[in-house]
Amino acid sequence: MSDTTHVSEGHELSRKGLSENSIGLIGAVAIGLSCIAPAYTLTGALGPTVREVGVQLPAIFIVGFIPMLLVALGYRELNNAMPDSGTTFTWATKAFGPYIGWMGGWGLVAATVIVLSNLAGVAVDFFYLMLAQLLNNPALADLTNNKPLNVVTCLVFMTIAAWISYRGMQTTKKVQYVLVGFQLVVLAWFIIAAILHISNGTAFDHTPVSLAWFNPFAVGSFTAFAAGISLSIFIFWGWDVTLTMNEETKGSKTTPGRAATLTVIIILAVYLLVAVAAISFAGVGETGVGLGNEETQDNVFAALAGPVMGPFALLMSFAVLSSSAASLQSTFVGPARTLLAMGHYKALPTRYASISPRFRSPGFATVMAGVAAWAFYAIMRFVSDSVLSDTITALGMMVCFYYGITALACVWYFRGEAFSGARNFVLKFLAPLLGGIMLVVTFITTSVDSIDPAFGSGSEIGGIGLVFLIGVGVIGLGVALMLLQRVRHPEFFHGVTLRRGTPVLNLDE
Amino acid sequence: MRYIVGYIANERGRDAVALGSTLAANAGGDLDLTMILPEPHLPAARVPAEPGYDELLAEQAEEWLKQGLALVPEKVPAEASIRYAESFAEGLIQEAEAERAGLIVIGAGRHGLLGRYSVGSVASALLHSSPVPVALAPRGYQAHPGLSRVTCAVGTRAGADNLFETAVDAAARQRIPLRLISLVAVGTKGAAGEAAIEQAKAHARTVLEEAAARLPSEHEVTVEVAHGESIEQAVEELGWHEDELLVIGSSRLAQHNRLFLGSTANKILRSLPVPMVVVPRNYSPSGGDGTAGKNG
Repeated sequence: MSDTTHVSEGHELSRKGLSENSIGLIGAVAIGLSCIAPAYTLTGALGPTVREVGVQLPAIFIVGFIPMLLVALGYRELNNAMPDSGTTFTWATKAFGPYIGWMGGWGLVAATVIVLSNLAGVAVDFFYLMLAQLLNNPALADLTNNKPLNVVTCLVFMTIAAWISYRGMQTTKKVQYVLVGFQLVVLAWFIIAAILHISNGTAFDHTPVSLAWFNPFAVGSFTAFAAGISLSIFIFWGWDVTLTMNEETKGSKTTPGRAATLTVIIILAVYLLVAVAAISFAGVGETGVGLGNEETQDNVFAALAGPVMGPFALLMSFAVLSSSAASLQSTFVGPARTLLAMGHYKALPTRYASISPRFRSPGFATVMAGVAAWAFYAIMRFVSDSVLSDTITALGMMVCFYYGITALACVWYFRGEAFSGARNFVLKFLAPLLGGIMLVVTFITTSVDSIDPAFGSGSEIGGIGLVFLIGVGVIGLGVALMLLQRVRHPEFFHGVTLRRGTPVLNLDE
Repeated sequence: MRYIVGYIANERGRDAVALGSTLAANAGGDLDLTMILPEPHLPAARVPAEPGYDELLAEQAEEWLKQGLALVPEKVPAEASIRYAESFAEGLIQEAEAERAGLIVIGAGRHGLLGRYSVGSVASALLHSSPVPVALAPRGYQAHPGLSRVTCAVGTRAGADNLFETAVDAAARQRIPLRLISLVAVGTKGAAGEAAIEQAKAHARTVLEEAAARLPSEHEVTVEVAHGESIEQAVEELGWHEDELLVIGSSRLAQHNRLFLGSTANKILRSLPVPMVVVPRNYSPSGGDGTAGKNG
């Protein structure tokens, strides 16, 4: 990018100092793992997934990876065809036009806002748990159940993370590597400690490992299966980032592919080993630390780390707290930039496109993402009995929604070349089509099933399941905001700023 | 000589452009308005960060730089650059080294309630590591066609190194009056304070003689010893022209060729109404090249 542009006559403007920001295979894998933040993901997803599919947890983790893989393949093709041109919002707009594009961007932003609130919620729980463990005062851990205090603590965390992001500061690679390494070590410790308890006969509810755990067809119903898939999408969410790191990885073109493969092997191994160890140690019973206990499903490691790891449970608290805090901060970047791009193309009010002169960061968009995430969390904390697991379930739905749109956008965008050669057929057509259909089916099934007040954690308002209200509410709010913007500033919707099939970023030139 | 102006699209940035323009107009230099942007890279997050963002940011920076260039007076040659770096200070130093610039200009005024200058994190990072002199523009600085006087803080004892030479040379080259000042904080101790003032006066006389010897006979050079309960008071006791410049040396603690603002300089900064140039220890104006090569 050593191009030189002319600002005005006699003034020459060059861009300097762009380093070849390359990372090797190990670095790319570390970043991939860092995106997924396995310690955080597991503590949030284990409980709700067991609630849906019981001991078939390992099976659903494996099956859940399939749609993610199929979609990611299409995702990579879009990224190669339109580098530097955005993500779901721009891609879907170019494939399907402004309305679906807008909703795709909204889905991405909504999913990120929800995960921000969940990350902050997990961080709050582990913050008080760690205080209790450090000061040897178990009463401190219960402070997280004090709703006003919890919401205020969350506000503090959220504000710090948004502020760091607003100032344009990023977690350095070295810190990321250390955090990832630490998470893996602690999770390995957890697995080994659980196995030792099992072999010593001191496990809470030893449940012998069985092959049936790996059989997805043993899941009771399609409702449970779809809900499980939706949650599995959440646990692999972020993996696709490794596939699209083409520009940053050094060496050959095969590095991103290898990094993505290695990342998924490690992550699957960690998930499966932890899942098997946890079920085998604690069973899926509904009492005590059993994984079926609704009281502890929200945040499994908070309940399980103590019995499994003894005094070293403190390490687990620290691993989850550090990974969710780091994730909280880095996750702000995504929605802020998507909102900024949407503002730039006039799909949102133009103040979303404003860049802070002082910090050269998407100022307004970052603040709004933080406000939305905190408000969402605060409302959920008061209306839900089981806030973390309900948000994770709703999150899975949102991810299915926007990934589904992205995958189908890939199929539609490449429809002209889909049948020219086997490679194109598989990567640009078949894989994203199958992946997209799976996700859309999962999304619709979960949406319909979640109307039932007994769905998920059983939180409900007026006899309608809370997860349904969140999912439909968020999408409905998106439609309303889209129509409002359509009335006020119709340029984007008339294809003035960004239209189908045209190169992006050609605005006002 | 080339002046790097660390440009930000706010009041601080405009103060910096005004000071850079004044200095360049005075010495016949040219400006390089430099905007530092964060290096584009993907953050490790679940959600892919809009890659188009980096292009939008660069476009915005170009727009800002156009506005910045419009602030530069016609007769001062100026160009604009975008540089990617981890931090503002680091980027400006890289730009100065790449361009073999003789000075970095930034706006250091606090736009708030307290004082005219506050060494913010950016200025402070720059003052700790710049190999070339750094000029700090006070809040709301307006461009002038030139400088009416250069004031050099010579300290109260020997050892101001080549700062003094730098100031004398600059005054001689640009034919502007030179004022040498010595600031003394007497505190509350009467007798000790008197002794300090006497010592400062003696030292001031010595440097005045040295300066007079180096300058052409008709060149105006004066010396003043200002004292007050604190350094801040001493600064306020002195009269200042709107279009003058204070040149001050970096701390004795500074590494060779690197800036570091000493405690006295920091105090001066707090009550100073005019721009200030901080010169690194052992910096020689002709040897800007030498320092550039080392880190190149």
